[in-house]
Amino acid sequence: MMITLLMVGLLLSGALAWYVEGKKVHSARWVALVSTVFLLVYFVLSIIFSSQQNYSELTVLTRVTWIDAFHIEYALAIDYLSIVLLMLTLFLAIICVLVSWHEIQEKAGFYYFNLLAAIAGIVGVFCAVDLFLFFFFWEVMLLPMTALIAIWGHEHRQFAAIKFFIFTQVSSLLMLVAIISTAYFHYQAVGQLSFYYQDWLALDIPLELASYLMFGFFIAFAVKLPSVPVHSWLPDAHTQAPTAGSVLLAGVLLKTGAYGLIRFVIFLFPEASHQFAPVAAVLAVVSILYGAKMAFAQTDFKRLVAYSSISHMGFVMLAVFSFNEIAYQGAIVTLIAHGLSSAALFSLAGMIYSRIHSRDLNDMGGFFKSAPRMGGFALAFAGAAFGLPGLANFIGEFFSLVGAFSAFPVLVVFAAFGLIGSAIYGMVLFQTTFQGPATATLSDLSLREIIISASLLMLLIIFGLFPNIILQYSHYIGVVL
Amino acid sequence: MSLMTFVALSPQLIIAFGLVLSMLLISWHRSQRSINILTQVILLFSLLLCARLLFADVAQVTPLLRVDGVGLYALMIILISAMVVVQLSYVLLKKHIEFHDEFYLLVQLVVLGASVLVVSDHFASLFLGFELLSIALVGLAGYLNEQKHSVETGFKYLILSATASSFMLLGIAFIYSQTGQLSFYFLPESSALSSPFYHLGIILFLVGMAFKLSLVPFHYWTPDVYQGAPTPVTLLMATVSKLAMFAVLLKCWFGLGYAYQESAQSVVLVIAILSMVSGNALALYQQNLKRLLAYSSIAHMGYLLIVLLLSSAAGESFAWQSMLFYFTAYVFATLAIFIAIFYSCSQQNSQVKNKALHTGFDDELLISDWQGLFWRSPLMAALILVSILSLAGIPLTMGFIGKFYLLSYASQTLQWGMIIALVIGSGIALFYYLKVIFVLFATEGGSKVSASLAIQARFLAITLISVSLFFGLFPDFLSQILQQLSIA
Repeated sequence: MMITLLMVGLLLSGALAWYVEGKKVHSARWVALVSTVFLLVYFVLSIIFSSQQNYSELTVLTRVTWIDAFHIEYALAIDYLSIVLLMLTLFLAIICVLVSWHEIQEKAGFYYFNLLAAIAGIVGVFCAVDLFLFFFFWEVMLLPMTALIAIWGHEHRQFAAIKFFIFTQVSSLLMLVAIISTAYFHYQAVGQLSFYYQDWLALDIPLELASYLMFGFFIAFAVKLPSVPVHSWLPDAHTQAPTAGSVLLAGVLLKTGAYGLIRFVIFLFPEASHQFAPVAAVLAVVSILYGAKMAFAQTDFKRLVAYSSISHMGFVMLAVFSFNEIAYQGAIVTLIAHGLSSAALFSLAGMIYSRIHSRDLNDMGGFFKSAPRMGGFALAFAGAAFGLPGLANFIGEFFSLVGAFSAFPVLVVFAAFGLIGSAIYGMVLFQTTFQGPATATLSDLSLREIIISASLLMLLIIFGLFPNIILQYSHYIGVVL
Repeated sequence: MSLMTFVALSPQLIIAFGLVLSMLLISWHRSQRSINILTQVILLFSLLLCARLLFADVAQVTPLLRVDGVGLYALMIILISAMVVVQLSYVLLKKHIEFHDEFYLLVQLVVLGASVLVVSDHFASLFLGFELLSIALVGLAGYLNEQKHSVETGFKYLILSATASSFMLLGIAFIYSQTGQLSFYFLPESSALSSPFYHLGIILFLVGMAFKLSLVPFHYWTPDVYQGAPTPVTLLMATVSKLAMFAVLLKCWFGLGYAYQESAQSVVLVIAILSMVSGNALALYQQNLKRLLAYSSIAHMGYLLIVLLLSSAAGESFAWQSMLFYFTAYVFATLAIFIAIFYSCSQQNSQVKNKALHTGFDDELLISDWQGLFWRSPLMAALILVSILSLAGIPLTMGFIGKFYLLSYASQTLQWGMIIALVIGSGIALFYYLKVIFVLFATEGGSKVSASLAIQARFLAITLISVSLFFGLFPDFLSQILQQLSIA
C-alpha cells in the first residue's frame, strides 16, 4: 500500500499543482515542494516504523490480479536496494522542484505535473516485480520526461527529445519481446503464463535461450545506463533539458538502467550473464575511458557533465558484471554518489545559466571573485566528480575497482585511468569557470541555491565519511549473490 | 428458412430493411435531419441486435453465411464507427443547401456490404459483400464534387478496386478449378494441394485482399484517396472497410488451411515486412495529416498480418483475439484522430469563409496547423494525443495492449523476422508520431485551428479518450469477452 500511496500521491499532487496554477500564478511550485517533502518524510517514516524491520530479502507489499487473460499482476515489492534508490529519487525530487523555482515561468502548472508524474513512474520502476508492470512503469516514466525536455528545454529540445524517446523506446521494445518470450517459456515449462518475478527466478532456462533473453534486457538497460555504443542520446538530452530535467535524468533515470541490470539481468539469467560478463566489462571500460575523454573535449558545461556521467556509469556496469560482493557494494555507493554529485553539477550549471544565459565554457571564467560561495561549492562538487577521498564517489569507485580486480585484472588497470581522466576534466571544468580573468560579475548564491548545494554536499560528505550507512544495506544485496 | 436463421441474420436484415425505409423516407420527406436520424436509428438497432446475439450459438445460415461471435464483434465495431461517420457527415453536409440523402444511402450500403463480409462463409458471399462495399465506397469517395481532388479520387478508387476484385475473382476461379469447392470450411485433397494453380489462386486472392487492405506493394492508391476523399469517407475506408476485409480474410485463411501452406506463408511474410517498414518510412516526411495517416495505416495492416502466420490449429483462437483487440484499438484511435482532423478542417473553412468569398471546400490539414493546440484547446489536443499514443503503441493506451497481443502472438509462433520488422517499424513510426505530438505542445505560431468544440464533438472526444485509456489500463474486460468469442 505504501508504494501505491506514494505513486498516487505524486500523481495527485501533480494534478493539483496543474490545477492551482491556473487559479493563482506561482502556486504550483509550492504544491510540488510541499508534496515532495511530505512524501519523502512519509516514506522514510513508514520504512522506519513498518512492522517488518528487515528488508534484506524482496518483500512483497501488494499483489493483486490486474489482467487475468495474461496472468498479469499488480505486484510491488521492495528490498534494501529499492529502498535506497527510492530515497535518492524522492530526495532528488525535492531538489528538482527547488532548481525549477525561478527557471520555469511558462506553463508552470503543466511542468510540475510532468515532473511529479515522471517521479511517480520512476518509483514504480524501482518496486514493480511483475515484469509487465515493470515495463508499464518503464514506459510511463518516459512520457513526462520527454515532455519536460521537449517543452521546457533549450534551443534544440525537440531533436533531443525525439532522439531520447526513440532510443529508449526501441530498446525497450526489445525488452518487451524478451519479457513476453520468458513468460511463454514459463508457460511451456510450468503450464501457466506468468510475468511474476519470483516465478521467473525458479525457472531453469537453457543457456542458449537465456543468452538471447538476457541480451534483450541488457540492451534496454544499457541504453538507459548508458553504455557505449548506445549512449549517444544522453549528451543531447542532458544538454537540452531544463535544469530539473537534467538533474532527474542524471540523478535517477540512469539509475533505473543500473537497477534493471542488477535486479533482472543478473538475477534472472545468472549463467548467461556470467558468459556475457567479459563483453559487458569491455563495454564498461570503453565507456569509462571514452566518457572521460569526451568530457575533457567539451566546451558546453552541461555536455561535459553528461559525458562524465557515461564515464561514471561505466564503473557501475564493470562492478555489476564482476560478480562479487565488494564490487556490488561499490556499484551501489557509486549509484548514490553519482546521483548526488551529478545532480549538484547540473544544478550548478542551471545557476550559472540563470545568471549569464550561456552554457558555453568560453563565456565563463573568473567567477570566483564575484561569487566565492558558488565557487567553493563548485570546487567541492568537481572534487566529488573526480573521486576525491572524503566524498562518497571515492568510496564507490574504489570499491568497484577493488571488487572488479579479482574478475578482470587487466581491464581494471585500464579503468583506473578513468580516475585520472576525471581529475583532468574536473579541473578543466572548475578552472575555466571560476578561475582566470573575470568575464562577468555574478551575484552570489541566493538562500534557495545555498540550500540546494549545501544539502547535496552534506550528503556527499556524510556518505563519504561514513559509507557504512549505505554499505550495511548494500551488504545484503551482495550476500545474495 | 427457420425463425432461427432470421434471428441470427437480424443485424444484416435490419440494415437492408433500413435501406428500403430510407428510400421511402426520401420520397416522402426530404430533410437532412430526418435521414440522419433514421440512419442512426437503423445502425443503433443493428448494434443492439449484435450485442444481444454476441454470445449465442454459431448459426449456419444457408451455405453462404455463418454467424459467429467474432464476426458479430467485428460488426459491432463496424457499426460504432459507421455511427461516428454518419454524425460527422451530417455536420459536413448540413451546411450545403442541396439535399444529400443519397450520401446516407451509400453509407448504409457500405455497412451492409461489410456486415455480409464479416459473416460470410463462402467465396460467393465474400464477393457479394466485397462488391457491395467497394461500389458504394467509390460513390462516396468522389461525392463532394466541389472538393479539390474529387474526380481523381473517385476514379482512382474505382479503377483500383475493380482491379483488385478481378484479381481476386481470378484467384477464386483457380482455387475452384483445383478443389471444386467454394466454401470456407473445406480441406482440399492432397492432389489439389500440389497443383501450382491452387497456389497461384491463393496468391491472387491474397493480392486482391492486399489492394483493399492497402498493403505494400499494392498501396499506391491509399495516400491519394485518403487525402482526396471527404474526411468522413476516409474514416469509413480506414475503419469499416479494413476491418471487414481483414475479418473475412482471417476466416477463409484459417478455414481453408492456407495458414499452413508454405508458399502462402512466405508471401505473407514478405508483404508484411515490406508494409511495416516502407509504410512507416514513407510516412516520415509527410506534412499532410491525412496522407500521414494513410501511410501509417499501411504499416498497421502490416503489423496485423502477423496473425496470418499460424503454426498449429491451437493458435487460431489467440490469433482472433489478437486481431480483434488490435483492430478495436486501431479503430478507436483512428476515429479519434479523424474527428480531430474533421473539426479542425471545418473550423479552418469557416474562418476562411468569413474573411473572403470562398466557394471551394478545402479538406486538407497540415501538421503545422495544429501548432500549440494544447494550450488553446486542451480537450481536442488530448484527443489527438491519446490517439497518437495509441497508434504508436505506448502504454496507458489501448494501442499498447494491442501491440502486446501481437508481440505475444508472434513470440508464441516464433516469428522472429516479423518481430524484428515490427520493432524497426515502430521505431521509425515514433519519429513522425512524436513530431505531431510536439507540434501540439509547441508554443509559438499559427492560431488557425483553435476554438471550442460543439457539444456533440466534446461528448465524442471525451468518450473516445476514456475508452482508450480505460481499456489501456484495464484490458481484462475486453480480453475476457474476446477469449469467450474466439473459443466458440
